[in-house]
Amino acid sequence: MRRPIALRISTYLLVALIAVSSLLPLAWMAIAGFKGRTEVLRTPFQFLPEVWRIENYAQILADSEFTRAMTVTFIGAVIFTVLSLAVNASAAYAFARLDFRFKRYLWAFCIVPLFIPGFAILLTSFVVVSGLGMLDTMAVLVIPGVASAFQMFFIRQFYLGIPVALEEAAMIDGASRWKIFTTIFLPQSRAPFVVVGVASFLGFWNAYVWPILTIQSPELFQIQQYLGNFRSERGNEWGLLMAGSFLSALPLITLVLIFQRYIVNGVRISGLK
Amino acid sequence: MITPMVILLAIFVIYPLFYSFFLSTFEISFYKDPVFVGLQFYGYVLDSPKFWNTLWVGLRLALMVVPVTLVVAFLIASLIKTLGKRLAGFLKTTIYIPTVISFVVASVVFVFMYRSQGGLVNGLLDVVGAGPFAFLSDPSIALPAIAVPAIWLGLGVTTLIMLAGMLDIPETYYEAAALEGAGFVQQTFYITIPLLKNVLLFLLVTGFIVALQSFELPLVMTAGGPVEATTTPNLYIFNQFKDPTPYATSFSLTAALLLFFVLGTISALIFRLVRSDKAVDG
Repeated sequence: MRRPIALRISTYLLVALIAVSSLLPLAWMAIAGFKGRTEVLRTPFQFLPEVWRIENYAQILADSEFTRAMTVTFIGAVIFTVLSLAVNASAAYAFARLDFRFKRYLWAFCIVPLFIPGFAILLTSFVVVSGLGMLDTMAVLVIPGVASAFQMFFIRQFYLGIPVALEEAAMIDGASRWKIFTTIFLPQSRAPFVVVGVASFLGFWNAYVWPILTIQSPELFQIQQYLGNFRSERGNEWGLLMAGSFLSALPLITLVLIFQRYIVNGVRISGLK
Repeated sequence: MITPMVILLAIFVIYPLFYSFFLSTFEISFYKDPVFVGLQFYGYVLDSPKFWNTLWVGLRLALMVVPVTLVVAFLIASLIKTLGKRLAGFLKTTIYIPTVISFVVASVVFVFMYRSQGGLVNGLLDVVGAGPFAFLSDPSIALPAIAVPAIWLGLGVTTLIMLAGMLDIPETYYEAAALEGAGFVQQTFYITIPLLKNVLLFLLVTGFIVALQSFELPLVMTAGGPVEATTTPNLYIFNQFKDPTPYATSFSLTAALLLFFVLGTISALIFRLVRSDKAVDG
């Protein structure tokens, strides 16, 4: 059904308007990074710089603390993502397919954390990790959040939807449960793994409260921690701060653009509609 | 296969939770050994005007964020549904991108946009002859100023969830309604909203729970000020954790647990509701 021209034009305008207002703060941040030190604070504001200067971007990229924070956070986020997929997917498979003793109770045990806000246990989690001697190490950033009720639940929903016929055939052929998991389930897990994997990566990359509580050594500073400190210590260097903030968000935006197809369809897998 | 998960959850979630309950029954101070006081602190928290005040701040923030998010997300989702595949994909990705921005970066950008010198918002207001406003230092508008980035960050996911719900509604319903001469407004009120009831309820409740727990935006943007106008419950609790005065630690621990009782129960109920409905319609 082709629509009349006027309607089509107004649809395009509406789409453009929504897209622009959604991306405006990001564009403003990226563009402010190209402005000079006084130009960035000029009143009335100018959207585009008079001269596009790359000094801010060059300066922040030459700042070893910034690049170190980016690198350390990136490495941590990758390890975190891989570990959480391994832990949560294997538990999801077990709950979707296996029968074992106390399954009902263990299920309740694993799903209750979904309803525990991080704040209720923030202080005592801190006591626990300091008791384990984990403070100020990479482990304290990675390990505590690996097991996730939400991710396990999400992957299990997906596994419940996989037909059992294929497994029954494999079992008759004598395949072990482990073999079935690795040869039948894992290859089909791409879509849910991308969705929860991206969520893990995002969660780690954007974490702020936990790092500022547990990390003191500058060598382990996380990127959000770096930006938070920058804001309180050198808060008047807006051009530099905007450049750094934009660069810190770039990996995530790239991730979304690469996996957009999976992500925008991700909500349908969860079964929560 | 579930052993790693169970062990990790036991150490880092369940044990800290019980430990919190245990500690909340003690009076902790740096100067003497903890003293068992039973549920005394629960009484203190519930009697504290400051605690109720932060709750009111959190609730007002939620009342600004959630209805706007839901209405705008609904309209955008309705629009996306009518678009061709490529345009719909473009718009879905565009509104999703802000979702990945961290609270710290969002805070910094909005603080910058709200500035009186060189700020985008005051600059635009100046064009229509209004302002300038000191958004973040005026107690009467600081909270709405924080609500804006909160809406911006949450809109994408809300829209995608609504859209998924809308796409589950059979197209034939709309065709029948259109034959009867029903327009967009009538179709929305008589078909979309009733059939989307559970999705909307889910988004409404989770939206409130998330907004009530807002913490990083006020921490970075205003540090809870001016005059505590933006001190949300979690920010208050966070500040009390670090407060070296006696009782502050026990007090904040208890406040955090009380919030958990209320919010945890509500989210568990809504989770059951959504799931049971799913079970019924197969």
